[in-house]
Amino acid sequence: MIKITNLEKFYRTEEVETIALNKLSMEVNTGEFVAIMGPSGCGKSTLLNILGMLDDPDAGSYVFNGVEIAHFNERKRADLRKHNIGFVFQSFNLIDELTVFENVELPLIYTGVSSADRVKRVEEVLDKMQIMHRRNHYPQQLSGGQQQRVAIARAVVNKPKLILADEPTGNLDSSNGNDVMELLTDLNEQGTTIIMVTHSEHDARYSHRIIRLLDGQTVMENIMV
Amino acid sequence: MIRNYLKTAWRNILGNKFYASINVAGLTVGLVVGMFMLLWVQDELSYDKFNSKADNIYKIDIVGGTGISKQIFNNIIAPVATFAKNEVPQVQDAVRIMPVGNAPFRYKDKVFYEDNFAFADPSYFTVFDFNLIKGDKRNPFPDNNSVVITEEMAAKYFGTEDPIGKVVTLGQDEQLKVTGVIPNYPENSSFKYRILMPLSRFNDLAYIKNKKTYDNKTFISSIDADWSMFGFQTYLLLKPGTKVDVTALEKKLQAIHERNKPEDAPVPYLTQPLLKMHLYQADGTDGGFSTVRTFGIVALMILVIACINYVNLSTARSMLRAKEVSMRKIIGAGKLQLFIQFMAETTLLFAIAAIFAFALMFVLLPYYNQFSGKELSLGLSNYNIWACIGLTLLGTLTASSIYPSLLLSSFEPLKALKGRVTIGIGNAAFRRVLVVLQFSVSIVLIIGTLIIGGQLKYIREKNLGYDKENVLSFSMRNGMIPHYDVIKNELQKNPAVLGVTRAGRDIITGGSSTGDNDWDGKPANSNMWFNQVYADKDLIGFFKMNIKEGAGFTGAVADSSHFIINETAVKEMGLTNPIGKRLRVQTVNGTIIGVVKDFHFTTIHHKIEPAVFQYKPNDCWKVYIKTTGAGAQSAIASALAVWKQYNNDVPFNYTFLDDSFKKLYTDDQRTGSLFNIFSAIAIVISCLGLFGLATYSAQVKTREIGIRKVLGASVSRIIGLLATEFMVLIVIAIVIAVPVGWYAMNAWLQDFAYKVNITWVVFVLAGGGATLIALATISIQSVKAAIANPVKSLKNGE
Ligand SMILES: Nc1ncnc2c1ncn2[C@@H]1O[C@H](COP(=O)(O)OP(=O)(O)OP(=O)(O)O)[C@@H](O)[C@H]1O
Ligand SMILES: [Mg+2]
Repeated sequence: MIKITNLEKFYRTEEVETIALNKLSMEVNTGEFVAIMGPSGCGKSTLLNILGMLDDPDAGSYVFNGVEIAHFNERKRADLRKHNIGFVFQSFNLIDELTVFENVELPLIYTGVSSADRVKRVEEVLDKMQIMHRRNHYPQQLSGGQQQRVAIARAVVNKPKLILADEPTGNLDSSNGNDVMELLTDLNEQGTTIIMVTHSEHDARYSHRIIRLLDGQTVMENIMV
Repeated sequence: MIRNYLKTAWRNILGNKFYASINVAGLTVGLVVGMFMLLWVQDELSYDKFNSKADNIYKIDIVGGTGISKQIFNNIIAPVATFAKNEVPQVQDAVRIMPVGNAPFRYKDKVFYEDNFAFADPSYFTVFDFNLIKGDKRNPFPDNNSVVITEEMAAKYFGTEDPIGKVVTLGQDEQLKVTGVIPNYPENSSFKYRILMPLSRFNDLAYIKNKKTYDNKTFISSIDADWSMFGFQTYLLLKPGTKVDVTALEKKLQAIHERNKPEDAPVPYLTQPLLKMHLYQADGTDGGFSTVRTFGIVALMILVIACINYVNLSTARSMLRAKEVSMRKIIGAGKLQLFIQFMAETTLLFAIAAIFAFALMFVLLPYYNQFSGKELSLGLSNYNIWACIGLTLLGTLTASSIYPSLLLSSFEPLKALKGRVTIGIGNAAFRRVLVVLQFSVSIVLIIGTLIIGGQLKYIREKNLGYDKENVLSFSMRNGMIPHYDVIKNELQKNPAVLGVTRAGRDIITGGSSTGDNDWDGKPANSNMWFNQVYADKDLIGFFKMNIKEGAGFTGAVADSSHFIINETAVKEMGLTNPIGKRLRVQTVNGTIIGVVKDFHFTTIHHKIEPAVFQYKPNDCWKVYIKTTGAGAQSAIASALAVWKQYNNDVPFNYTFLDDSFKKLYTDDQRTGSLFNIFSAIAIVISCLGLFGLATYSAQVKTREIGIRKVLGASVSRIIGLLATEFMVLIVIAIVIAVPVGWYAMNAWLQDFAYKVNITWVVFVLAGGGATLIALATISIQSVKAAIANPVKSLKNGE
């Protein structure tokens, strides 16, 4: 599904140039559940943002579903992204002014799903995430675990082929964290490819494979059995 | 402590240069315009107040005519003042002023045309505060050859020499001796006579040296016995302390008049307080006050818009400052301390804006004076101006600082830290109301601009009923009138001169009128007044006026008892077949031979009044020359050459009708231009505020926009999201502004007897224009926000 070769990303500030990704190559197959680990600042989020087509690489190749997209412009990337990828963030990133229902509904609006279908699908996901009873609440009225479940609901409502999760349990206690990992595992078992950044060895064990980064380069891969 | 507050405030301003510059720019522009306008208003309201007895001075007018020809005479007959002083106990003193047209004034080799001179009673210098600074205060006019001049005149003619005792020549050969000097008039004086001669001199000339008679039988003994001649501005100084019963005074004056000239009865009198003279007509109707009020309101509006900007921007920014404020509170800042802190910030910002505003005002003052026709100065001694400026600053500062300071200092720290700032809905709603208000005002001003512009265009293009293009005129002096035929011949030799005629009045500004008339079938109660036009035989043809019925003058002897009247006169007289009907105007008893189509002989503020043309070539002192556009200079040269033959020593004075016409509407044009500027500025300030708000809105929403983009929202969708929020406000503003603008401008147009119709196009243009400008303003920020990289937005957002 994903094949990146010699991917590079630099950040230039006035004083220094940071090499966030240094000729990184890797591959992720459809249906895989991959965890990315590494010390703080090694480029995990940067990698995830590029994989999620939120950012573009400075050099190298990124083939998504057989299409080279490293040179895609913003519009094309956005188009590809909204139909194929769902995001889960450490800080949930829900919109405060919208209710749970409206937050989850948003991706469907942007992909042009009819209103009747939207209601059906949002309710379906909310049910699955067990937050149906909170559908009319605002994010601020929910606990962290509940908020992350809404965020995951929002990530999956469009039935994406790929879910990118950046430290999804980072702001949660272990029990809520485990719930989230269970949800992701379920999704993966139903066929969704998942790439997850984490600092937790415990969470990483839910995955099939761990990719360890150091200074923007792969240092080792562990295959879980 | 205060130092500390100011230091923190200064850092805060420096740390937010964008926010600070938008605020300072808006405030500066608002203050400059607001203060300029308020200064103008203050100046208009201050007219004649410098007179220490102003409260007890009244102007006397006479009402003449009925129906459409009803008019008020500001210059009345002379004896009333003398009789009132002798017979009415309330009256302490009286002043009569008889302004005289322009004439050359000469001292040695210095000769200029002077137009601000008058005959006056000596009480002029004591009733008003025009005390002599040189000469004998108790006896300003020792004899009939005395003349009192202003300091400015003294300097102009005598330089540094002592003016007292200097002999000057007025007109051709009148020798006068300077016996007094008065200070220059304040700019806000209704009286600006720079050369004053004793009224007794006029008495001497008109009643003693030349015997005056109205019926060729009895001679009038003096000015105080002439109950027929109008032309004297009359002011009464009433005894202080007594409550003035104006109606009783008017009745007494009327009784005096009717007792001495019973055939004038009824002849109602009007009194008007001196202090109302500048802004009101004698009958109490508007004479400029509504313009002053409008400008005052607009000035306040512009200041309000500027304040709103500040309030909007600072409250919007408070969202971004919530965390800072909370941290301060957690560390231990009290509510009051925070309040003072924010007040200090506002005050500092205001101080900066005020400094810029002053600098700008000093730079712009000369242009503003030229533009507004005022002579304002920002001298330190001008107490009124500084009071006005101080009040404006204090008012705007208070209006802008209290609410934002209260708001910011009252955050609940824990909630704010968690990002649950309570200012959410309520505060945003308040801000929206303010934006709506700003734009409503701006749109009303745009509507005003469009309608005023339309009316001015209408005036320019209106068919006046006569042809004023390329017509040049000059006044013949006494010696020239008998030689008119020669002069005309001479002028017509120049091919650039297309025609020459003469009249006994200024065709554009009007002249005398009379109520002494009679015709067959005149209703007993009718008191009709005619505007009189003394004409040469070719005048009507010259001005391309249309004879509707009958014929024009031919120059035959019989024409001296022929009348041509206008359509309005026909209507007002109630005639059906006017031609051949008998008409008497003053001493001339004759017949109506023609009807001329109505034409505008004064401004189109006034309805066309009844007019009568009389063939009186020997009373026609005004020469009109029709020329071509290109030949104008050549025609002027010919006229000058002719002039020189008769008056070698007197400068030649001429005017073009187009110019005089424009002058009539100077005030209207000025109102128009001022409105253009005001509405442009209101729009600019409003947009500045909108720009700031859009910026903050985009900033506050950065995270939301980021999330939406991650979820697949397109750039155009995001722009739409941001823009709709504001466009709704603009639409509400339009809905409010249209009726208000319609109402206000309809009222303004009432001042014109002839006016444009207000059409929906105006409102569409105003609304559409405002919408476009607002949209452009918002788009800049929205587009920027929408194309921003969501990765960054999300990172910064947390
Ligand atoms: N916008 C940016 N400008 C400059 N440098 C950046 C920017 N974003 C990231 N970096 C740098 O790139 C490197 C990789 O950052 P990245 O956010 O990918 O790290 P990370 O592995 O996700 O770390 P963490 O585990 O702390 O989230 C870091 O050294 C960081 O300082
Ligand atoms: Mg990271």
